[in-house]
Amino acid sequence: MGDSSEAGGLTARDVRLARGGRAVLDGARLTVPRGAVTALVAPSGAGKSTLLRCLNRLLDPDAGTIELAGRNVRGIDPRELRRRVGLVAQTPTMLPGTVRDNVAYALPAATDGDVARALRAAGLPDAFAGRDAAGLSGGERARVALARALSRAPEVLLLDEPTAALDADTAALVGRTLRALADDGVGVCMAVHDVPFAREHADRVVGLDDREPPR
Amino acid sequence: MSTGVVQVLAALAFAAAAAGLAVRLRLGIGREIVWAAGRAVLQLAVVGAVIAAVFRFPALSAVFLAAMASAAALTSGSRLRGLPHPRRTALLAIAPPALAATGLLILVGAFQATPRAIVPTAGILLGGAMAATSLTGRRMLEALHDELDAIETRLALGDDVRGALAPVVRRAVVTGLVPAIDQTRSVGIVTLPGTFVGLVLGGASPATAARTQLVVLLALLLVELLAALLVSVAISRAVTAPGERVVVPERDDARGTPAR
Repeated sequence: MGDSSEAGGLTARDVRLARGGRAVLDGARLTVPRGAVTALVAPSGAGKSTLLRCLNRLLDPDAGTIELAGRNVRGIDPRELRRRVGLVAQTPTMLPGTVRDNVAYALPAATDGDVARALRAAGLPDAFAGRDAAGLSGGERARVALARALSRAPEVLLLDEPTAALDADTAALVGRTLRALADDGVGVCMAVHDVPFAREHADRVVGLDDREPPR
Repeated sequence: MSTGVVQVLAALAFAAAAAGLAVRLRLGIGREIVWAAGRAVLQLAVVGAVIAAVFRFPALSAVFLAAMASAAALTSGSRLRGLPHPRRTALLAIAPPALAATGLLILVGAFQATPRAIVPTAGILLGGAMAATSLTGRRMLEALHDELDAIETRLALGDDVRGALAPVVRRAVVTGLVPAIDQTRSVGIVTLPGTFVGLVLGGASPATAARTQLVVLLALLLVELLAALLVSVAISRAVTAPGERVVVPERDDARGTPAR
């Protein structure tokens, strides 16, 4: 795959990051083209989550380049970058309040319709908006976190093990949601260890070197 | 026998009784009580002599105030381990509000511009600022670790660092202010505060003692709030990294419970 950043996607090249004297990322590469689902597959502890956090600058790598739509992310206002590059963590944290408060967080102009649309896209009914976010199960949290990211209409959506807390049916639903997002032009990247799920739902399956791993 | 000697002997008798009871009940703190009482005797004897010298040579007041502020910064700084400059951070949170409030009270004529008024007033305000700094700082550092996921969630949803840290700052400042608010609310009902007791024992009328206590107590509310805000701002700055990121210092496992 060529340089996706020119087409509006996200590209990471030779990303290095050390923590406590240990290399967490050692020359990682990744391309997330818009309009496609990319699965980042690597063993636990290989640095998938760290790389995703570098992509929206929750972490700054020690070396390497990350570009969004051909522009170095260090030159983009971090708040704008994080609105354009959504991130759903592996164990999402719910902020205090209702599901609606979470989905519309920092979006003062969001309407009930916007919230309902985001919830539906994540496979949740409209009535879910009034639920207390603190009382949700792991699977419900994962889907609310997805709705929360979708409510910002990101250009690129990063998901860290999005199906870890889900049963097979809900995981398949999330897979279809990600496919629909990609069809709408969003660049989707999910870090997963579930290779069969990745091969079923992703257009590209790559490792931390941006190459397809051996079958 | 003079009153002074009787006072000291009575105090030592109480401490000896506490130590004796602790030994008898095998509480394992008999030696600690003796040690604490011995320290109190020595420290109060030294501070009494030093304050006597300050009263005789007023110019020494500034040195004494600096020493008090430094001691407060050392104490609070030990609760802020993990920050780049914990003692300096504590000093900048404690000294400016406490000393400014002392100066203001003297400027408006609430207290006389004498070492006899300045030293104890500044001491109480520095002590209050120190407690608020320790409590707020400790609570905030703990929350930065415990709530890092929520902070990063807010950042990922488009908040700047200030917005992402706001709930943590708010809760830490409230925690830091709880003792001051409780002390103010319960004054005269649950406890008779030190200034009031000292003045009454020293021969002042209860009305004068109550008035003086009120000034100090209400000044403490603002001083402690400012100290709590200053230390929270300093910690927020210390953990803010370029790119609207939060970098939390290593957790200090040897932390203690902030004492008041």
